[in-house]
Amino acid sequence: MSISTHEKDGVVILEPEGKIMGGPEATELRNRLYELISTDNKKVVIDLSHVEWMNSTGLGILISGMTSLRNNEGELKLANISEKVANLFEITKLDNVFEAYDSADDAVGSFA
Amino acid sequence: MADKKSYRLEIPSSQNYLAEADRFLESHLKEHGIDDDSIADLAISATELINNAIIHGNKSDPHKIVTIELEFSDKHLSISITDQGQGFKPENIPSPISDDNIMKEAGRGIFIVRSLVDDLQFEEPPEGGTRMIIIKKLAS
Repeated sequence: MSISTHEKDGVVILEPEGKIMGGPEATELRNRLYELISTDNKKVVIDLSHVEWMNSTGLGILISGMTSLRNNEGELKLANISEKVANLFEITKLDNVFEAYDSADDAVGSFA
Repeated sequence: MADKKSYRLEIPSSQNYLAEADRFLESHLKEHGIDDDSIADLAISATELINNAIIHGNKSDPHKIVTIELEFSDKHLSISITDQGQGFKPENIPSPISDDNIMKEAGRGIFIVRSLVDDLQFEEPPEGGTRMIIIKKLAS
């Protein structure tokens, strides 16, 4: 999986691409998130505009990332959720758990 | 009676083969004119069940295989995922949307599949293991 990373206004933005289904691509995203947490980044946005779909493995990684960041006094926010991913959030009631924005800029701005 | 068309793929019990299984399923679903939205729902559901078969069924034992079968008839399509494990009791899965479980990292797979497809059946084949069957009705 290709995951681009950039930073804006002190917020790290991860931009994974493809499908998150449980294989090596899921491990890569999980590791990238933990790397950020272990190097004391506290403000993270995952921009999902290039994620076609994910299954429960992807949801689990997002939950785990959010929990780990919160335990480290940080916060994970999401941006650009596709219709497919939004549907899974609704089914699993995770739409009440994650803070999601229409754009990465809006998500970054929300940390201000 | 209309012809049935079927396809079969066997993969080792490793999540490294998930993408191959997804390509296999999505290409045949597309060939048969299934719309993109339904293909995504079926791929999400099938990869959930393949993960279950690899991890919970075959315990990631590389000597065990997961068999994926796709069958089209005139009224429906089915995707069967069969492992070589010790059997599985779907009724024992706690609700992932209860307050106690909502923040858990795992445990949503079967719940998601049941929400996305027309029917999900479980069988215990005579040779052992568990067969999980996704059913999707086709417009006539």
